[in-house]
Amino acid sequence: MIFALVESALLSLVKVAIPASTVVVLAALGVMLSERVGVLNLGQEGLIGIGAVYAVIAATEWGVTSPWVSMLVGIIAAALAGAIFAVVVVVFRANQVLAGLAMAIGGIGLSNQLGTNRNGTPVTTLFSEVNPGGKFTSNAVLETFLFHDPVVYIAYIVLPAAFWFLLFRTRHGMNMRAVGENPAAADAAGVSVLWARFGYTVAGSALAGAGGAYMVLSFTPTWAPDIARGRGWVALAVVIFGAWRPFRVVAGALLYGAMISLGMTAQARNWNLPFLGPRDLSFFLSMIPYLVTIVAILIPAGAARFGRRIRSTSAPGGLAVPYSREER
Amino acid sequence: MKAFRLERQLDLDPRRAALYRILGALCALLLGALVLVATGRNPVWILGQAIDAIFSRQRGIEGVALRATPILMTALSVALCLRLRIWNIGAGGQFLAGAFAAVGVGINLDAPGWVVLFAMAAAGTLAGAAWILVPALARAYWGVNEIITTLLLNFVAVQLAAWAALGFWRDEEAFAIQSTKSIEDTLPGIPGTESLSIALFFPLVIAGVLWWVFRSTRAGYEIDMIGGNPKAAAFAGINVPRRMVAVMLVTGAIAGLGGMIQLAGSPGAQQLNAGFGAQYGLSGFIVATIAAGSFLGLVVAGFLIAAMFFAGLILQTRGLSVYIILALYGIILIGVAVGEIAARFRLVRADLDIAPPESP
Repeated sequence: MIFALVESALLSLVKVAIPASTVVVLAALGVMLSERVGVLNLGQEGLIGIGAVYAVIAATEWGVTSPWVSMLVGIIAAALAGAIFAVVVVVFRANQVLAGLAMAIGGIGLSNQLGTNRNGTPVTTLFSEVNPGGKFTSNAVLETFLFHDPVVYIAYIVLPAAFWFLLFRTRHGMNMRAVGENPAAADAAGVSVLWARFGYTVAGSALAGAGGAYMVLSFTPTWAPDIARGRGWVALAVVIFGAWRPFRVVAGALLYGAMISLGMTAQARNWNLPFLGPRDLSFFLSMIPYLVTIVAILIPAGAARFGRRIRSTSAPGGLAVPYSREER
Repeated sequence: MKAFRLERQLDLDPRRAALYRILGALCALLLGALVLVATGRNPVWILGQAIDAIFSRQRGIEGVALRATPILMTALSVALCLRLRIWNIGAGGQFLAGAFAAVGVGINLDAPGWVVLFAMAAAGTLAGAAWILVPALARAYWGVNEIITTLLLNFVAVQLAAWAALGFWRDEEAFAIQSTKSIEDTLPGIPGTESLSIALFFPLVIAGVLWWVFRSTRAGYEIDMIGGNPKAAAFAGINVPRRMVAVMLVTGAIAGLGGMIQLAGSPGAQQLNAGFGAQYGLSGFIVATIAAGSFLGLVVAGFLIAAMFFAGLILQTRGLSVYIILALYGIILIGVAVGEIAARFRLVRADLDIAPPESP
């Protein structure tokens, strides 16, 4: 009896958490790609905003009826912004932290400015959920996992699987990792550091744009100022939590979503714990993903300090270090 | 045949570096102006309005000084850390933690005004230092990247402030505004001004002290040495991790004190809410990077950015959105980042017939 109750609570939690985390999953997979080749892109918050606002513009003003096309518009806009960032940090080799924060601030400003007259305009051309047929609704577990947008399945299954294969099963992926770990060695071996870094920075930005577009085309579904609401920063944290491995990154994003939805559930159902009211609990829960991530960073570092090797969870060696052949 | 070619400079003159940064920012502003023209706005009119807003009345100048105070505090925090080549991206969080501790003391301690203020300052300073303690220890002893850990703690601080404002310290009497109760005691004002308090002197004094420390003390020299080459510093007998932790704690303390003086010294900011000081962390970061290690340059840059902020607020009432200012911020930062690199290259005209020297 109690088991069934816990199970249904857990399933309803997951059902909320899956779409809520999709934005974070998409952005985080993009962050993972660019960090794997050694580029730290702190501009996620701005890129999500740019992707979202252009998707809204496409859907509500250009009369685009297909959400896929609207999403593509958002993706292209974010990729262009990412290309500017890539020129600055990869070609000019500017400081990645500084340029990344510039992207975050500038992107938030730009998207909010473009969205000024579109606050609260509902987007009607939305993604429709996958419907595999009525017989699956009878099973609670299947119902939890089977009735979402197609984008959800792309974000949670298709992309991580593709990236896993790319990174760990292809020569190109090995070259990517080499560029991120030791660009000088990769360069000596004939891999173009410049193109790898440029390409995957743009690709990563495009994924953040896809996340933003998904927000306005399915999740919210309307434009609001500061649309990312910190999800871009969460994506950066989740990649560290996930140790730059695709499926672990997805798991980290789900953990974040679960904590947020647990907090919302606590408020909606008015849970009262000793010392923690429903509202307190939701604030406390929303801190947990960040704290867990910090602990997840500290544990392997601390273990290494005491002479124990945990399977590598550390950042790519060349992360955020500009590479120039002359300085080798 | 002669051709132009970029040549890399081996050593960088700090004055040249500063000049290129400023040039980068100016070029970026010019680019921003072009964008404004392209979208049908008049940048000259905007600039005129901004200058008018700041200099036409005493309130304008005071408004800039008021906003410069918290920005300078977080900027000093970031800049001091940068001397070690360590990025404290968490200055905003430490600022909030300081304000959180200060408001806690301020609304709960029943004592004479000056006692409360001193207790608040102590609490804010300690809270700011405490907020960076774990990143500092992890960086110094375990080599854990500080960019991520300090950044993550910002969000924890925002959640904590929101929790205090909506939960345990909530002002039950105010319905519309969701914030904590207000503190009663505030810092004394500066005579002859309408809104300024002695809070303004805190960053100026700290900037002066830091300038002196790095100009003429052994501690400053050692910190610069660690920043330059930690291995060499360790070889020279400096306890690098311990020094690192100490400096990082001081940077947290400065930001935390910034939160306290904002709370107790800025008119209308006597209670904490989730949006308290949201923009000061990033602005301080911008100021510190523009100043690039110079504490006196930092004060100038701080007032400049504060003026932009203030002008943005005024321009908002005259039909220009604050978001444009944010977008301009981003463009300026990119300009600074590119200028930083451009300073390292020099355009030379060289004879291509002469073969470049063989590298050894």
